[in-house]
Amino acid sequence: MQSTIDLDNRMILVCCGTGCLANGSMEVYEALNQGLTSTNVQVQTYTKPTGCNGWCEKGPLVKIMPDDITYIQVTIADVPEIIEKTLQTGEVINRLLYRDPKTKKRIKSHHEIEFYKKQHKIALRNIGEIDPASIQDYIDRDGYKAITKVLAAVTPTQVIDEVIKSGLRGRGGGGFPTGLKWKACAATTALPRYVICNGDEGDPGAFMDRSIMEGDPHTVIEGMIICAYAIGASAGFIYVRDEYSLAVKNLGIAIDNARSCGYLGKDILGSTLSFDIDIVRGGGAFVCGEETALIASIEGNVGEPRDKYVFPTEKGLWGQPTIINNVESWANIPVIINEGAQKFAAIGTEGSKGTKVFSLVGKVINTGLVEVPMGTTLREIIYDIGGGIPGGRKFKAVQTGGPSGGCIPDSMLDLQVDFDTLTEAGSMMGSGGLIVMDDRTCMVEIARYYVNFLAEESCGKCTPCREGLKAMRETLEGICKGQGKLEDIDFLRDIGETMQTASLCALGRTAPNPVLSTLHYFADEYLAHINEARCPAGVCRDLTHFYIEAELCTGCGLCVKQCPVDGISGEKKEPHVIDQEKCIQCGECINHCKFNAVKVR
Amino acid sequence: MKISIDHQKVDVNPGETILEAARKNGIDIPTLCYHEAYGGQGMCRMCMVEVKTGQTTRMVASCTYPIYQEIEVETSTPAIEKIRKNIVTLLYRSSPSSEFMEKLYREYQGGEMRDVQFSPEFSDRCILCRLCVKACEEIGTSAISAIYRGTDKRISTPFDEASAACIGCAACAQVCPTSAIDIFQSDTERIIWNKTFTRVKCGRCGEPFATREQLEYIAARTGIEGYEATLCEDCRKKKIAIQLSQFTD
Repeated sequence: MQSTIDLDNRMILVCCGTGCLANGSMEVYEALNQGLTSTNVQVQTYTKPTGCNGWCEKGPLVKIMPDDITYIQVTIADVPEIIEKTLQTGEVINRLLYRDPKTKKRIKSHHEIEFYKKQHKIALRNIGEIDPASIQDYIDRDGYKAITKVLAAVTPTQVIDEVIKSGLRGRGGGGFPTGLKWKACAATTALPRYVICNGDEGDPGAFMDRSIMEGDPHTVIEGMIICAYAIGASAGFIYVRDEYSLAVKNLGIAIDNARSCGYLGKDILGSTLSFDIDIVRGGGAFVCGEETALIASIEGNVGEPRDKYVFPTEKGLWGQPTIINNVESWANIPVIINEGAQKFAAIGTEGSKGTKVFSLVGKVINTGLVEVPMGTTLREIIYDIGGGIPGGRKFKAVQTGGPSGGCIPDSMLDLQVDFDTLTEAGSMMGSGGLIVMDDRTCMVEIARYYVNFLAEESCGKCTPCREGLKAMRETLEGICKGQGKLEDIDFLRDIGETMQTASLCALGRTAPNPVLSTLHYFADEYLAHINEARCPAGVCRDLTHFYIEAELCTGCGLCVKQCPVDGISGEKKEPHVIDQEKCIQCGECINHCKFNAVKVR
Repeated sequence: MKISIDHQKVDVNPGETILEAARKNGIDIPTLCYHEAYGGQGMCRMCMVEVKTGQTTRMVASCTYPIYQEIEVETSTPAIEKIRKNIVTLLYRSSPSSEFMEKLYREYQGGEMRDVQFSPEFSDRCILCRLCVKACEEIGTSAISAIYRGTDKRISTPFDEASAACIGCAACAQVCPTSAIDIFQSDTERIIWNKTFTRVKCGRCGEPFATREQLEYIAARTGIEGYEATLCEDCRKKKIAIQLSQFTD
């Protein structure tokens, strides 16, 4: 199949997001470069390492433009064939294309793939399309157009009004209207004022902010400069957790480049605005994502929150008026200015405008980063984009909003996700984590896991959070071990309520969510643990008892191979039996059985 | 400006906290981490009160909430009492050998002693109110602080070692409501926070009254040296009284 396309001047984009890097994309990138510079290659092409394309499940991804070819799961071994066929003759290599599981057809362009079709990229618009280390790449895609326009012909008040009109709400989880925050800060009299980017993403399984900082650092910088102009700030800080080494590196390069191009520093683009940005590397405390704790950390103090009866907009960093927004919020700002508040506000729901980036992880086929309009249902995200639950298992719950979010059951899959609906459902938007769980998940154990995480990551300052989490952890551990009592349920609810109302910061106030939401939606599972000494999901080892149902067992022997303790026996093609004396309740048999013959008592 | 606390109109200065305003007017709000000398810390959350501004009511910590507008405050509603009861129970779970907490727990259970499931990782007596840390900070030494985070949080010197900054003044132990800070001492020695201090005897009555490091610290801070600084508090008073009586003769 010969292409009519110009074989010269093609662009090869190699995804070098964290997921793809871990799967060897840098080696693929280097091999491509090496192969292309060898003497017998006649075509002129450009290769670029890009940020995360979001489809981590199928990485490393290699895109060839303008042909619009997307190759998935590319290894170094595929590189010579890509050069020889696709790059030298224009031939598409079928086996490297994604095969749609429903139609069984190979799909050439990623735009045609279900995973991308329903997405609407604003915050992630440039990621995967540009080299994050190149300011020119950013500028070529309307980068720094918004700040140029603002400095030339828009007043600070007009900027703030535009952000208010857009309806943008804080993407870090609080959901506070961004424009109103800016307006409150601009109304203060004290100087100097500061702008902070909160990049202390700490939720397990969440990587949207990381992806933006790594893949499109200039959009964050441009958003901050626009805010500095609007509120009259002179200095900015980007607080990044130090584990995000690539983000720290790419942001550093971007800040240097922005400075040398006149977008940062004194008299930006010939205007009177002077503003510069420093990177502050966080020590990896989850609680430092809370804005007052983050501010304390920048000041060199212990990262502990304070009561926010006076907001940081009035008294923030070093007691001065401060605007602190999350990475994803910043990434939306240049688009709102460039395309207008109206266009942005047309997307989303009544109370939540625009899009939201979710990191879709757990028991879902297409794990990765997705950006969808507010109001998209959980079902669309998990089944249409995410491809459903792997291994033919049953969906059980989805936890939204990180460790202190709640677990939402299948009866609510048609919930239109936005800030308000999630809170009503007993969960929260948080920073946009979506952890999908299948029927092999024990909801009591899940609550115990998150409570334990929070007990370790709470700052330990206020009593309800510190002592409440400690008491909850001990109670849940007891239930998982079969030592639960019926009054434990009331105790958990009672303590949970006190934590919600009396804790100092949002971490403590939301910390009981995983417990209260599972108690609400999965009460029967708690009762099975307590009253019947039984873990219905077969997870809590002390309460699990696996057996094989003879009618369903085909005697295939797969479980025998998986069992690590030789605890299953049976004749070929005859029903097998689990030796209860030997069984260690690891669950390998139930996870691998193709006939659903392994059951939990 | 005027606000109402428990339906009583009271005068407040703008910026004053609810707790200060209440106490000034004889309205008691229970606290564990508050001390007049150090101000509000917002940690124990015993002092939660309900604040009504316009149509909205919310729960706030009265020790850190500054009054800038007209508000209505309720200091004891069923919801508030439930929070206080739970906080006391939670703290008592973690400090089972504290008589102070046992008494408080009894009080909040209405006098009767219900069974408490003590935490297996209890801290003995400390309730992490951090008054000791504040006292040390005020002295100017900052030898102790809250270390680690989450449920591992506790009070200690850096790396649990004898701190060069500690002067053995024991202000921390004095302010501690639960007697959680151990002091071992004889007539000549004091051991506190893993550090041994020599106790200095009063030049007049011969009672040990301070550590050598403490006197050196006072000398360095105030410039007062020698005999004046080697008298205990009682003898200093007596000495001044004698001097005064000589003047009046």
